[in-house]
Amino acid sequence: MRERITFVQKEGDSIEPTALKVDASALSGPDVKAVREDRLTLALDELPNELKALLEGVSQLHIRWVDRGEHEAVSPLLARLPPGFHLFYTPGSDTSINPCPLLTRVFGLNSCSSPAESFTTLPTDRFTHSTTHQFYQPLPSLSSFINFAKSHLCPSDSPKSCSPRLSSLHRASHLDISYDTISHTLRVTSLWPYSSHSLSATLLSPSIRTEIGIISTASPKTLEAHEIAISGLLTVLGQSNHPSPTLFTFPSRHRSAAPVSFTSQFLSPTGLHPVLQLSITSPTPPIKSPNPDSCRLHAYFTLPKTVFPDRHQLSDPLFLASKNLSALRYITPGIDLEAPEYVTNTWGSSLLLELSPPLKGGEWTAQVPLHLRYLSPSVTGYRSAEVPYPAVFWACEAEEGTRFPVNPFEKDKVGYDGLFGERTVFWHLDPTTTAGDGVLVNGVKVPVLNLEKAGWVNVGTAVVVGLGFLWVVFKLLGVGFAGGRKVDGEEKKKRQ
Amino acid sequence: MTKPSATAQARPPPPATSPATAPSLLTTFFARPLPLYLSAAIFRLIFLLYGLWQDANSPVKYTDIDYLVFTDAARFVSHGQSPYDRETYRYTPVLAWLLLPTAHITGNRLLDSALFSSGKILFALADLAAGWLLEKVLSRSMAPPQARKFATIWLLNPMVATISTRGSSEGLLGVLVMALLWAVLEKRITLAGLLLGFSVHFKIYPFIYAPAIIWWMDNSKFPPSQPPPSKRSPSLPTKILAFLTPARLNLTLTSLTTFSLLNTSMYLLYGTPFLQQTYLHHISRLDHRHNFSPYHTQLYLSSSPSVSPSLLLPIEKIAFLPQLLLSTLLIPLILAKKSLPTCLLAQTFSFVTFNKVCTSQYFLWYLILLPLYLPRSSFFRCPKFGFLALGLWVLAQAAWLQQGFELEFLGRSTFLPGLWMTGLGFFGVNCWILGVVVSDVRGRGSE
Repeated sequence: MRERITFVQKEGDSIEPTALKVDASALSGPDVKAVREDRLTLALDELPNELKALLEGVSQLHIRWVDRGEHEAVSPLLARLPPGFHLFYTPGSDTSINPCPLLTRVFGLNSCSSPAESFTTLPTDRFTHSTTHQFYQPLPSLSSFINFAKSHLCPSDSPKSCSPRLSSLHRASHLDISYDTISHTLRVTSLWPYSSHSLSATLLSPSIRTEIGIISTASPKTLEAHEIAISGLLTVLGQSNHPSPTLFTFPSRHRSAAPVSFTSQFLSPTGLHPVLQLSITSPTPPIKSPNPDSCRLHAYFTLPKTVFPDRHQLSDPLFLASKNLSALRYITPGIDLEAPEYVTNTWGSSLLLELSPPLKGGEWTAQVPLHLRYLSPSVTGYRSAEVPYPAVFWACEAEEGTRFPVNPFEKDKVGYDGLFGERTVFWHLDPTTTAGDGVLVNGVKVPVLNLEKAGWVNVGTAVVVGLGFLWVVFKLLGVGFAGGRKVDGEEKKKRQ
Repeated sequence: MTKPSATAQARPPPPATSPATAPSLLTTFFARPLPLYLSAAIFRLIFLLYGLWQDANSPVKYTDIDYLVFTDAARFVSHGQSPYDRETYRYTPVLAWLLLPTAHITGNRLLDSALFSSGKILFALADLAAGWLLEKVLSRSMAPPQARKFATIWLLNPMVATISTRGSSEGLLGVLVMALLWAVLEKRITLAGLLLGFSVHFKIYPFIYAPAIIWWMDNSKFPPSQPPPSKRSPSLPTKILAFLTPARLNLTLTSLTTFSLLNTSMYLLYGTPFLQQTYLHHISRLDHRHNFSPYHTQLYLSSSPSVSPSLLLPIEKIAFLPQLLLSTLLIPLILAKKSLPTCLLAQTFSFVTFNKVCTSQYFLWYLILLPLYLPRSSFFRCPKFGFLALGLWVLAQAAWLQQGFELEFLGRSTFLPGLWMTGLGFFGVNCWILGVVVSDVRGRGSE
């Protein structure tokens, strides 16, 4: 087991080494404004049996949980995903293994029944680095995970800090859990949003190598355009009693397009065909990108099954142009365009659209037409559906020959990265909310059948259909009897 | 997708009744076939060209979404794949084959546009052919100019022209059904059997015509070569044997053979997806997006997991009973021998009215038969009554469409009572009209 704790300050912020107190098992210092990232790396043998048994059977499993709050991202932790619970999954040789029951228990999911029923398949022919399956569901809170972890990962002899540290996940903005057969290790990374954190970290156990970093981005002169530089103080608890200053650079695929931001909202009235409008503060590509001409603005959506995009509608260039969209780059195949939500098993669909920004100007909008499924009836006649904000980014091609080896802060398997080439750099636009609730989720009110008024439907339909039927039968009998007795005779006379 | 069109579309009023004393423009128009068919063709050409213009210039498309399904399927076929590789393709492969030219690309923009529209041209031509057959059937009981007047209801009907030029295949059914009726009345039984088998393969519903046609084909139309041996109280087996006339056997065998051969070959070609999409889907379908059917609300309610099924009468499970009793048994039995065309109209009307799904495209199924009934209908004898019926039919639809608009575009929960009540209202109007149609056959001898 290894642990890495990193406090990421904003560029230019730093802390004097003398302000830190380091001893064999703890580090402490003043409060700093930073993003905190904790990363725990575990070997398969260190895991609870149930989890170990599951992971031994899978090839890749990546969980990406994102809080729905509006949080500022700090370089280099810039990758964005729509808020909610994402799972990217590749089964092992035994495809009958079902991760759903365990995931459901751990995270409190409600729509994961099995890969065959609930997951969608991802294209693996485009780029080899993507997983084969995807699953998503909105998940506002990690409380289920925290409770599960407390009871399973904090045994009675565990350090006192185990339970409180898990509790602090209530305030986390991201939780990533990654496993693949190549590394044979499980990596759990949690992120707390930019705020004031007390600089304190304690060794979980003497056997755990614990590394603590207090870093911020730097801009040395030798920095290349596709790289990020980090400077700060690193300490390995128990190995040294003073922090060592450090400066290193690495290529990064996720960058920030700040100050450009976007907001997302449904146009009113929504009806059964709601249109999600993205308002983007500027149409110009990120100036810091080495070759802005290669940049294309994209929006990546994970749409729960209550709504769906229509690939045919999104394939017409004229229609797309009228919505300030350029092209449909990816859509989950096989989306049912008719079925009600309550008979749909798959989680929903993902959608990658290329947007069409104007050549110049200020704030502009793009519209994404969606369609609601029928939802189950309710006592009010309405239900609410939630659509998370998309990830909006400029995808720019790095120069020929640029390589992006996995960097210490890299976040991969975020859904859209598998739809682009390995040289693509993502310049993320910050999502902002207009409603002021700070929630990166768009709600839509869905009209459904009102159960309170449905008392007469069953009997009423039966009676009306029955009466209609009897009326026609009555008329038919009238003709039948008239024809049987009189008309035939008259007709015969006429013919004679 | 069963999404009823959002605009109310109505049958046109019956043409004026007053017989012209002096040869008016109208008389000249109907005196010869050319003016009518030429204007029907030009009418459709204008719609077609307008559609091309709208598609090229507006994000709101004229072309029906179904046409894109057909043409996508045709493209799959042209690449040696199955038409069922196209999701929501729920038709016979024959349709995709017919539209193969639409998948052809030459590189010339104008030519490609024409090729892509060739399916619509085919549907429009089918419209014209259906109108021509309609005239031929009408001419059996009236002068050709008079027959053409009534055929105008179909030929110059904007609703019919719109549907076919938007690329909906319902017009093909029109020509098939009219050809079937014409062949039967002309006593071309083998041809009729081929048409019946093919129509059922194409769209299932024409199977309702089989019992009517079989019942109609009695000895008065097909006199036996030898008169029946004894007239006094024949025994049941004799009766059954007498019912199995060569003509009836011929029709049954030809149609069944056609139907089976087509289905077997399609199954061999495309396997289970053919069966699933073309036929089984209609049994298991759960898409109950709002449509005109009186069962719509009930289907929504009973399909939902939030309603306990034990509390409901399982109406939707027996909905086929009134529908099939009327359209395949009672109406044929009572009306077929008195007036076969009106019988087919009443059957189709009841089939659509009592169906579990009903969209405005289905109205075309009976619209083609309407001109055959109108000339001797009480709606035509008393135009006020006719306009009243037409008005009610339009009004009931408009009321439903208004509720549908509020739901679909304004997001108001109008399922109850709005859509349910207006759906039942429209159903009521349809039942009343059906009653009038049925009663109009009273007093008629066999035709």
